[in-house]
Amino acid sequence: MTDSATIKYIVNERARIHDKTEKGVGYMKKNTEKWTALLMTAVMAAGLTGCGNAGAETQDAKQPVAEQAQTAQSDTGQEQQDAAAETESGGAAGGKVSVVLATNWGEGDAKYDYFYPLFEKFQEEHKDTLDITLQTYSTEDYKTKIKTQTASGDLPDVFTYWGGGMMKDMVDAGLLLNVDDYFAASSEVSKEDFEDGAFEYYVSGDGNAYGIPLESTRGIFIANKALFEQYDLEYPKTYEELVKVSEVFRANDIIPLAIGSNGGTPSEFFFSELYNQYEGAADEIKALAAGGSFHTENAVRVAEVIVDMIDQGMLPADTMANGGWTGSLQLYTDQKAAMTYTYPWNFEFIPDEMQENSEIIPIPQLPGATVDSASMISGFTVYGLVINKQSFEDAAKHDAVLALCDFLASDELTQELTKSGMIPCKKVEVNTDEQKLIMQKTIEYAKDKKLVQVHYTTMPSADAITMMDSSLDELFIKAITPEEFTQKVQAVLDKNNE
Amino acid sequence: MSSKRKETLLAAGFLMPVFIVYTVFLFVPLVNTAMYSLTKWNGVTEKVFIGIRNYQELFHNADYWITFQNTIKLVVITLVIQIPTGLLLAYLLYINTKGSKVFRTIFFLPVVIAPVAIALMFSLFYNSEIGVFNRILEMIGLGGLQTNWLSNTKTLLYAVMAPQVWQYIGLYVTIFLGALQAVPEELVESAEIDGAGKIRTFFYVVLPQIVNFTNICVILCVTGSLKAFEHSWIMTGGGPGVRSAYLGVYMYKTAFVNSDFGTGSAITMTIVALSLAITGLINGIGRWRERE
Repeated sequence: MTDSATIKYIVNERARIHDKTEKGVGYMKKNTEKWTALLMTAVMAAGLTGCGNAGAETQDAKQPVAEQAQTAQSDTGQEQQDAAAETESGGAAGGKVSVVLATNWGEGDAKYDYFYPLFEKFQEEHKDTLDITLQTYSTEDYKTKIKTQTASGDLPDVFTYWGGGMMKDMVDAGLLLNVDDYFAASSEVSKEDFEDGAFEYYVSGDGNAYGIPLESTRGIFIANKALFEQYDLEYPKTYEELVKVSEVFRANDIIPLAIGSNGGTPSEFFFSELYNQYEGAADEIKALAAGGSFHTENAVRVAEVIVDMIDQGMLPADTMANGGWTGSLQLYTDQKAAMTYTYPWNFEFIPDEMQENSEIIPIPQLPGATVDSASMISGFTVYGLVINKQSFEDAAKHDAVLALCDFLASDELTQELTKSGMIPCKKVEVNTDEQKLIMQKTIEYAKDKKLVQVHYTTMPSADAITMMDSSLDELFIKAITPEEFTQKVQAVLDKNNE
Repeated sequence: MSSKRKETLLAAGFLMPVFIVYTVFLFVPLVNTAMYSLTKWNGVTEKVFIGIRNYQELFHNADYWITFQNTIKLVVITLVIQIPTGLLLAYLLYINTKGSKVFRTIFFLPVVIAPVAIALMFSLFYNSEIGVFNRILEMIGLGGLQTNWLSNTKTLLYAVMAPQVWQYIGLYVTIFLGALQAVPEELVESAEIDGAGKIRTFFYVVLPQIVNFTNICVILCVTGSLKAFEHSWIMTGGGPGVRSAYLGVYMYKTAFVNSDFGTGSAITMTIVALSLAITGLINGIGRWRERE
């Protein structure tokens, strides 16, 4: 045999042995596969059966209480009707009524430390009658969760939420309770306990309010006193002065304004604050709720100012990393930025020494602006409590929901939450000495100012708000022009008006 | 019972669970989605039939085309980077067995880590204040390349793609390594005895043997890219705007964030159509290659 023939022979022999072995293994494999397949089929069938049962249970559980009660009454009378009412949707188990409370006041939120101890106390006091499931999520996840639950018809019984365009879909679908019904039933809380005008944010097109306002707010522009003193600078009163001050800070590796844009925060509220400086702007913001336009001359002008701020290096270059409420504030509290724009729900995250070192100043007057920025401050109801109408009208849950709402709107909880920096919509006695220093400064600064609104509260729909937020993010990285920014938001409003 | 009937029943018994699962969890939702895509629906109020208007609006929507392009770019980049790199690393492990088990584990490790964790880790790496990427660039004398990775329109999309591309290379290394180990040693030995070097052996002997595995990898790569979601969502939420969003992210934002389930469903249907088109293309190429 030649060398190559020898090699071919060896290769063929190896291949033959390999095939033989494969066949032997193949027989065993076939048997194993057969049994594995049978086992898997059985498991799958059992699984599907299990799913079927669960589905049936869910279906029963979701049957409206009235329907169940009717069935029960037609069978054996009142006794069974009561029993049916007790075992309704997530309802009574062993004499307890199950209710779901959802909020974004979870761990990490400024209000958590003040809310949770009182919530635990409430739970303890009602442990024999109420079984409360508390669901908490971070703000953006929470918005998505509630929207998804709205679509799936699985809203919590009671939950904190935004008003205006954010609650529109739920109101249109008749899912939320007209809060007049709650006040009529409550012996603890009345509508008159709240500040005048506080309900406006929760008033729908039909003139009824669908939320209990809990939190009002004020937007503040703060400056680091020490940094201004260090570089011998005056607080800027005009845009030109802001440009000059910014040059000095930039030359010293300090970011002039810690305002980024990630998910539209804090850029959206800052945009509105600037917007309010222009002639007729406050009316334009108000008019949005009633079908007004977003694509206005003022909007384009403000967007152009923001682009100029970016070009002048006033804002953080990494707007995504330094955007968001905490991201922007962090630059300021770390003294890497000289000024920022923030709201009371972030006060919890401002260290004491920075609260001491911060001065609230008017936003510098923009070019062509006619409304004195020192005469106004953005202030509006921003958050509250909404009630699932079906749960409230559910005979078995009614009292539980009422008690929970009474707790959430109580003076005690409201007063406690003010310690986090919350400005209450409810008229309660607030011990100013217990307030954070920055809160005291805010109240002092705001007392002679005219309150103005922001786009967030008057936008007629949630998707318009989302578009404004995401388009501002694009504007901040200069992916779109000021004109394109306003057109994108307007396009959503136009689509909704069709 | 005749044996043929028995066989039919047995086959039906085995097929039924799959048929039920596919029908309930795939075909029915797909048909429902197709129907929803023809409606104006916010998920709460009544659906209003509007014909193909959602599709018309979608095809005139600049944001949709941005996400469409992003998705196609991701498909191309994963194909160009993941498969050749996976194959190269697998071949290196195959020909140089020293320490191959350790490297195999190292390469595969990112695959088993949750994409959410990887995405979060990378978003911290990119951070201009605390991130390590810019610092590393400075340390190695490439400070000029420093940038705000997620806030720069030129780098944003690629910065979001990078962790996804990197994370799944290990998967292809493992698949290719398994394929290489299945290549009969005799063939490689014969080629070497015949004087073919490592490179020629690889291209003329090994590669033709693992071509079917390459097809699998291409399909995994393409499907993985078409359903890409986590990295983009965690790192940037698909933003700013939709600049780093893929079709999946855009669909999620439209349907679940904006509560526009009609348009969201229309986006889903275009993803299905795109998937079918790409699958058809891959199969067509496969058939053409077989004929060749």
